[in-house]
Amino acid sequence: METIEVIRLGVYGASILLILIGLYAVLTKKSLIKIIIGLSIIDGGIHLLLIGIGYIKDGTAPIFSPGLEGAASRMVDPVPQALVLTAIVIGFGVTAVALSLIIRLYRHHNTLKIDEIKNLKW
Amino acid sequence: MVGSPVLLIAIPLLAAFLVPLLGMLWKELVRIIPGLVLAYLLVLSTSLYLEVLNSGTIVETIAGWSAPFGINLVFSPLTGFLTTIMTFIGLIIWLYSYRFKRNVEFEAAKKYFIFLMLLVAGSVGIVITGDIFNQFVFIEIVGISAYALTAFYTGRNSAEAAFKYLIMGSLSASALLIAIIIIYSQLGTLNMAEISANIHNMSPHYRVIAMIFFVVGIGVEAEIFPLNGWAPDAYTEAPGPVGGAFAGIVVKAGIYAMVRMMFTLFDISGPMQILIVIGMITLIVAETSALRQEKLKRMLAYSSIGQMGLVLIAFGMGTKAGVFAALFLMLNHAIIKPLLFLSGSHLTFNTTDKYIKEITGMAKKMPVVSVLFALGALAISGLPPFSGFWSKLSVLTAAADENMILIITLVLIISVVEIVYYFRVLNRLFFFSYDEKVSVKPHKPSFNSMIAMFILAALILLIGFYPSSVTGFIDLAADDLLNTHDYIDKVLGMIQ
Amino acid sequence: MKKTIVIFILAAFGYFLAITFLAPEFESNRNRNGVKNVYLDKTVSELKTANTVTAIVVNFRGFDTLGEVTVLFLAATALGSILFKKRHHIGERTVMLPASSIVGSGAKLIFPAIILLGAYVFIHGHLTPGGGFQGGTIIATGFLLMLISYRDFSISHNILSVIESLAGILFVVFGLLGFMNGGTFLQNFMGTGVLNDLFSGGVIPIIYILVGFKVAAELTGLIYTILHEKG
Repeated sequence: METIEVIRLGVYGASILLILIGLYAVLTKKSLIKIIIGLSIIDGGIHLLLIGIGYIKDGTAPIFSPGLEGAASRMVDPVPQALVLTAIVIGFGVTAVALSLIIRLYRHHNTLKIDEIKNLKW
Repeated sequence: MVGSPVLLIAIPLLAAFLVPLLGMLWKELVRIIPGLVLAYLLVLSTSLYLEVLNSGTIVETIAGWSAPFGINLVFSPLTGFLTTIMTFIGLIIWLYSYRFKRNVEFEAAKKYFIFLMLLVAGSVGIVITGDIFNQFVFIEIVGISAYALTAFYTGRNSAEAAFKYLIMGSLSASALLIAIIIIYSQLGTLNMAEISANIHNMSPHYRVIAMIFFVVGIGVEAEIFPLNGWAPDAYTEAPGPVGGAFAGIVVKAGIYAMVRMMFTLFDISGPMQILIVIGMITLIVAETSALRQEKLKRMLAYSSIGQMGLVLIAFGMGTKAGVFAALFLMLNHAIIKPLLFLSGSHLTFNTTDKYIKEITGMAKKMPVVSVLFALGALAISGLPPFSGFWSKLSVLTAAADENMILIITLVLIISVVEIVYYFRVLNRLFFFSYDEKVSVKPHKPSFNSMIAMFILAALILLIGFYPSSVTGFIDLAADDLLNTHDYIDKVLGMIQ
Repeated sequence: MKKTIVIFILAAFGYFLAITFLAPEFESNRNRNGVKNVYLDKTVSELKTANTVTAIVVNFRGFDTLGEVTVLFLAATALGSILFKKRHHIGERTVMLPASSIVGSGAKLIFPAIILLGAYVFIHGHLTPGGGFQGGTIIATGFLLMLISYRDFSISHNILSVIESLAGILFVVFGLLGFMNGGTFLQNFMGTGVLNDLFSGGVIPIIYILVGFKVAAELTGLIYTILHEKG
């Protein structure tokens, strides 16, 4: 197998693994903070996947610095990089809101255990 | 040229950034400016809609790059129809809460109105955008404002409901991103029209996988089973008008995104089993759960989910009549459900738990609000001569055209169930005597909230007695949705 | 028991993802000739912006960025709304231990450098890697450093809110100015200059600098709100 193929499988495999680890945390962990960490890990995996699909063999960064003006054919796809920037910021916003909700829940219930916060049906 | 569709998004965003500054000058402005913006949106949307009906779809490019390179907004008979409904409901919700939030402090009121305005703007954005990633961004805008509105009251269990909503919302956003990744990697574009033109070049395996992720990603906003676990709690714990906004605005945007994805993005024609099956499960589960609820707002939430199931069934038939029925149902639901939420939150104003038994005999204390609630309940359960009757009738005729006996039977049975649980409430409301020990203290509704409810009630009666006043618009909207080639040509036609 | 079920579900889901993304046809069917070539071409020829990612973020898909900035604004507002209390205790901190004098003077020493680096990153966003979001985040880390090393370091909430509002308003206004000369929203209406000059790319660096200010103010505000929250 070529090296590029191995790297590709490695990046995709790592991102799938990250998504699964994050989902495991979201589904089994009892602490609210750990659930949010899980969500962030899922986000990380997806961002890695998104960056990964833009790669081309021997690619360079999509920046036309002096000396690289004619290198457009060797540049990696810039669109996923722009998308991932947006996705990271959005993920950050959601995480911040989630943490503030956790602070509110802690104020009410004095605990972060999901089993003890059950005023509503889960 | 009356304006451009991009102003539907740009003006609310500009106002949202302006409101904190203006609030430092005069505190009342934080209540007035959002109302003015929402009124402007309604005017702009209506005038654009009328223009679209005369001269055809408007495709707006942004940053000077025509599709598929830039992001474009599509204002067609269908999207214009939905945008007009949404901005109208947004304005009604603002009118209702203008004084409802009077006793809330300045800071909280400022944030409430910013969230409400961006909720409407985000939903409009979901509807008019022509780019899947842009739709994702708008879904997140709607999501964050919805989480914040759900957690608005610090005294209740609202943080818990909002947390639940947030977990489901962000998991589904992840699924949506995966779907976008698959589509971008296979087709190299994010523009809906170009995806639709090339979707048949994609290998079937990836098409199916991308579709599954899309359904999961959009399903949370569209309240389909089993992704609607957040809805009853969020509707119960959020302030009353916000429940109306969710049912009237957010869910409509979710359903639109789902349907646009099925009909245009994946270019499926004919009956769609997946939508029918999802819709039927959603309908049955939600309506049977509604029967067992003891809290008024929870019951309304389940009823809302059930109606969305019915809408999906009607869309799933894939015929002109089915789409027509679905859009008619969406219109009626967008008008009736906010009325139920608005009047219901006046009936249960002085209680935190919102039990149905607590409104026993309230009709004697608050006759007008009770009658409005009854009007909404009768209309949504599909009794003539109210508006809900005509939409249910059109679902039945659409199903009869296709010989779908199962659907006809199901819809009839579900109608009976709906009548049963709404009459259970009405019975308590009107025919029981007021009991100081169980019932809540009556509350005098404010003047502007009465106007808001009367406008909605008048619309229900208007559509009920003169259904032909809206069917023409819905007919055009249904044509627009079904004509995928026209959509592709309109959007991509500009580069040729 | 629950864990076993979860592991089985995850294994199935992982297999599903693996056959999707690791399959050779995912790579061989990949469309390499989509919109990207046009972006790479037009960035140099029309926008004169060296950094293609910046050109996409600010111009081609600038509407997304406007939405993204709104998401941040919403998150900051939501934080204030969710943590809102009738009686404010702002001023007290839950971090009780004072930082040592080494941390204190080190922070003071590095702080201006961090701010300078952040400003450099967002001013040169159209030429080198980086931009408004990255630069804003760097500046916010500077404020985070000051906040955790000085217990009484305080920032006026009003100033932050004025900065973020003004930056947001100017972003939309620059977008609306694109309507001049029959253009469209967010259109690049200024002269684009010469590739790789600091003053090139027309409106792109201006918008990205505004984004930088907005992100810096918002992130600092978020950190400040959470730090001053008494649990």
